[in-house]
Amino acid sequence: MKNIRKFAAIFTSRLVLIGFVLVAAFPIYWMFNTSLALDSELFGTGQEFLPHLERVGEVPQKLEDVGIFGLLANSAFIATGVTVLSFILAVMAAYGLSRFKFHGKGIFGFVLFSTQMMPEALLVVPLFALFATFGLLNSLTGLVLANTAFSMPVAVFIIKTAIDKIPYEIEESARVDGCSPAGQLGMIVVPLVLPSLAAAAVINFFDGWNEFLFANTFIRQQELWPASVGLAQFMGQYSTPLSTVMAAALLFTLPAIVFFLLVQRQIVSGLTAGAVKG
Amino acid sequence: MLTDQMKAKHPRIFRSRARTRLLPYLFMGPAMLYIAIFVMIPLGRGIQLSFTDTKLINPQGGDPIGVQNYAELLTSERFWNSFVVTVSYSAAIVIFSLVLGTLSAVLINRSFRGRALTRAVLTLPYATPNVAVALIFLWMYNQSSGIFNESLSVLGIGEVGWLGDPDYGLFSVIVATLWKVTPFVMLVVVAALQSVPEELYEASRVDGADVLSTFRAIVLPHLMPTIRVVALLMTIWSIRRFEIIYLLTGGGPVETTNVLVINIYQQAFQSQKLGMAAAIGVLGLLLSLAVTAVFFVLDRRASLAESQ
Repeated sequence: MKNIRKFAAIFTSRLVLIGFVLVAAFPIYWMFNTSLALDSELFGTGQEFLPHLERVGEVPQKLEDVGIFGLLANSAFIATGVTVLSFILAVMAAYGLSRFKFHGKGIFGFVLFSTQMMPEALLVVPLFALFATFGLLNSLTGLVLANTAFSMPVAVFIIKTAIDKIPYEIEESARVDGCSPAGQLGMIVVPLVLPSLAAAAVINFFDGWNEFLFANTFIRQQELWPASVGLAQFMGQYSTPLSTVMAAALLFTLPAIVFFLLVQRQIVSGLTAGAVKG
Repeated sequence: MLTDQMKAKHPRIFRSRARTRLLPYLFMGPAMLYIAIFVMIPLGRGIQLSFTDTKLINPQGGDPIGVQNYAELLTSERFWNSFVVTVSYSAAIVIFSLVLGTLSAVLINRSFRGRALTRAVLTLPYATPNVAVALIFLWMYNQSSGIFNESLSVLGIGEVGWLGDPDYGLFSVIVATLWKVTPFVMLVVVAALQSVPEELYEASRVDGADVLSTFRAIVLPHLMPTIRVVALLMTIWSIRRFEIIYLLTGGGPVETTNVLVINIYQQAFQSQKLGMAAAIGVLGLLLSLAVTAVFFVLDRRASLAESQ
């Protein structure tokens, strides 16, 4: 009797898990499937459940035709800029938050956390005015600057959590040996928290890669669109075949997935622990 | 008091004291300055805008009109609709993502063959960029040819309007969002589950407790601090989520998915009323702040209760 119940429990939990896996994977599979279908099938004879793998060869040309590679290059530029800028600011700030007591520490922590509840749409208007003054509208640099403000705090949380776990004694002994604070950070702390630094960098890259709202309002020149804005525009125009839109969307998704799978463990521990102490 | 002479006499001590006091600010300074320039000053400017009648055609102009924007909003049906939609949307996301995320975390926390792969597949949605999520769901929800209606027609059920039907619009947006965000909850809870001491499981197994009561009595209390933090993050992220909703419905049909953030965008860039848009933004921010404050109070109380 007991064995039967145990078997039933395991069976049910497997079944539920399989259900979850199907739900998680299906939309991505469907993106792939759609990217290999013709519009005449999609809107006429019906989409088949199995993909037309024989059409894979046509995909690169289709992507070339809509100029997605240029848009992806813009996204990559924004993402790289956000990553580098956030990284420099965040490593220093995280070290400061983790290792020192000073006036205004609590306030600074809260201000950092509060960026996570700031609706970007509220800041779009004032930033628009600010960027107009400095000629940063319609430029990828402007997008890097705007996005860093929202992604850098997350990097600070992740890196600070990692630094908190390192015993201070190591730096202490280096200090006694005459190592400067910058040296302690660069030569002792940074090498010890490399996995978390990687996680923070990937999360920031991700944010830049995802960027949509600021680009959608600040950028007028089509050549400067990131892929996110370009994809949204393709969907609105009926001239672009749906299969091409989906192929481009899939190409836009793949780097994010690969990066994420590489460092998800560090991302999670950093995000939650950072938020607890906010 | 330190005279120059004393400084010369004890250069090391003086320097180290002044330095240790200044040092944290040197490390934090750049980030603080950055947030000040790109978040706090624009925020201040946004708050100021919310008390003016500034228009998009002349963003530098606009006259102060006191609290008129707020007065107008608080008596407008459209604003309260947005408020209710935002709260319902966020509540649904928080509740369902927590339940489903925790359930999948518990299921994946045992060892079985193919566990790493299963876990990777389950996290794919979280890594999918928002715009891609919106695009694939737009297609799946397509009324005449999307997979959902195609499947329903196989079952002999008629077409559902999904994103175009006021009865299903919000539901459809919530489903698409849940697909994207639930894996985040799962990942965090999986991490927390790994910190539950193995002995606790063993003890309850020896006592002959079944799976559910073990979960309630041992696992859940261990997870509560994590779950509270995730609930807070899920709430404030939901209040400000833009892309997915904007691309799926743009706030429609008949404003049934018109969350505050979409409302801000429409007021600013369609109605061209920057002042009014800013006022909605400020109220949205206040909502997030209020939620955060409530969470912190509850969190403190709960952790006090748990430690007793």
